[in-house]
Amino acid sequence: MTDTPEQAQTPDKDHGVLYIGMDLGTSRTSVSASNGLRETVYSVVGYPKDLVSKKLLKKDVLFGTEAIEKRLSLKMYKPLEKGVLKYTGDAEHDAEAKENLKAAQDLIGEAIRVAQPRKDELVYCVIGCPAEASFKNREAIIEAARSHVDSVMLCSEPFAVAYGLDWLEDVLVIDIGAGTTDLCRMHGTMPEEADQVTFDVAGDSVDAELDRLIEQHCPGAQRTVQMVKEIKERYGFVGDASERANVELPVNGKPSMFDLTDVIQQACSVLIDPIVAGIQELVATFDPEFQQKLKNRVLLAGGGSLLKGLDSAIEVAMKERLGGGKVIRIEEPIYGGANGALKIAHDMPADYWEQLK
Amino acid sequence: MGGLKDTLKDAVRQMSFRTSIDSLKKKGVQKVNVLGMDRIIALVEAAVHKSLRSRLVGMEREVVAESTKAEFVRLLRSNEDLQRQKSEIEDQKERAQDEIDQLRRELATQQQELKIRLDQGALAVANRYDGENARIAHQVSEVMRSLAATGDLALEDAETRVVELVMNIVNGEREEAESARAALRDREVDVLQRRISKLNESLSQTEHKLQAVAAMKNIDEGISSIYRQVQGIDTKDVQAGKKRELMAEIFKANLKLQKRDSAS
Repeated sequence: MTDTPEQAQTPDKDHGVLYIGMDLGTSRTSVSASNGLRETVYSVVGYPKDLVSKKLLKKDVLFGTEAIEKRLSLKMYKPLEKGVLKYTGDAEHDAEAKENLKAAQDLIGEAIRVAQPRKDELVYCVIGCPAEASFKNREAIIEAARSHVDSVMLCSEPFAVAYGLDWLEDVLVIDIGAGTTDLCRMHGTMPEEADQVTFDVAGDSVDAELDRLIEQHCPGAQRTVQMVKEIKERYGFVGDASERANVELPVNGKPSMFDLTDVIQQACSVLIDPIVAGIQELVATFDPEFQQKLKNRVLLAGGGSLLKGLDSAIEVAMKERLGGGKVIRIEEPIYGGANGALKIAHDMPADYWEQLK
Repeated sequence: MGGLKDTLKDAVRQMSFRTSIDSLKKKGVQKVNVLGMDRIIALVEAAVHKSLRSRLVGMEREVVAESTKAEFVRLLRSNEDLQRQKSEIEDQKERAQDEIDQLRRELATQQQELKIRLDQGALAVANRYDGENARIAHQVSEVMRSLAATGDLALEDAETRVVELVMNIVNGEREEAESARAALRDREVDVLQRRISKLNESLSQTEHKLQAVAAMKNIDEGISSIYRQVQGIDTKDVQAGKKRELMAEIFKANLKLQKRDSAS
């Protein structure tokens, strides 16, 4: 009779407390931890298709870039869609929902693992989820996280961004993810439903539009969704181009050079109108005395905000429609949500954590 | 205090690397600045005291300085313990790996031996049959010649009859002998197969042990959090009151969600 590693390793959690802030995104999952680590994993999970691939890969599950690279040997899952877990509470897709939940559990486990917690430390985690995630979806995220941490809480993503920067009053946060764009106005209390706007024109919409335009303007150019995404991340911009986007794509197997500058600009611009419409909605329904202050404190966060010139382009559009405004891109858009969640975890009193264990 | 100095010295030694003057010269270095160990320790102490002086006063400063030094020493010792545990686990892994290699080699030898035995058995049977057939043919031929010498009987009929007769007898004998030999060989094969089965079982157990050791090793000690205790809102924060309310609201929402979740 031999001890399993789990039985052999059950240390007391008396060494300290590790706080983890997590931004569980459709495209990327980012974590910031109180041991100084910050990591990002693509929200992709792959399981070997058969015994042969399992033996070859020597792993039961792969994540992120590694999974994308080995995708031909894997059954791939992207557990999040439009910022929430796929098929949650959908009886028609019960089997897929279960597999998807398993993938989400593994993804959250991997995100915790990359934060390198010690076995003898308590792990307290705050996860940022979309402002409009349903009850079912929040329950599913909690269920997925619980097996990996000692205590877990959820909070709204845009709220976490604002909290992380200590901007708690009269500020409007725009969090551009892959699946959704969330806008949230902060006025010193927890944002309510009326303080938030969510729409699904986001990073994935830019990819889809860019793909459509490449199809239209570059006949025969072969590409995958991943290649289009990489082109956007490398060259994406709105406004004036600072460099030409000359990209090599195969045509009938032969690498060919295409100038994609104009199509990239056109595709990235799809974000501006809905964002400015959302800003207008939240400003117009705010206390008139504070509207001007709110317009001058617009924070841009999330992976989508990395598009060059997006802040200036939104300011130009706000000038036309709202008479002006100031947009500030946060310093680390990818980690804005995770850093904020980490700060919430830090500030949460001990007895709250205890009660949720 | 002496303990701290020694520990600091050890830490600096561990973190530094050795190089020769020749290798520095090869890299084009003509002159080097030398900073003594005591000077490094004095600088660290001065930096700590300066930082503390700017934030704390009197006794409080001394207490914080002493507890910081004690914590530093404790962390270094904890690190040493972890290093030792890690090397022990690595030794265990190496030993298990050696054992597996040995078992694999033994298994391969046994399988090779079994194959040789089986091949040899098949060859010996073939050779023995060839010899027996020739001898029988020779004996029949002798008989025929003696029959022919008698005159009346047709030679072909006589030969056929005799060969049939002899072959029937011989086949009967062969079957008996063969079954005896097969039984003997089966026993040998059975013994070898049991030995292989035992080796396989042993190999599987050792591999399981190796996996357990590897898993223990993979349980990376991780990176320590900067916090030893649960924190909470800084009371000096100008927005502390507001933040406290926000934390309470987040907690209430989560309590509602998670109690509902556990109830369902």
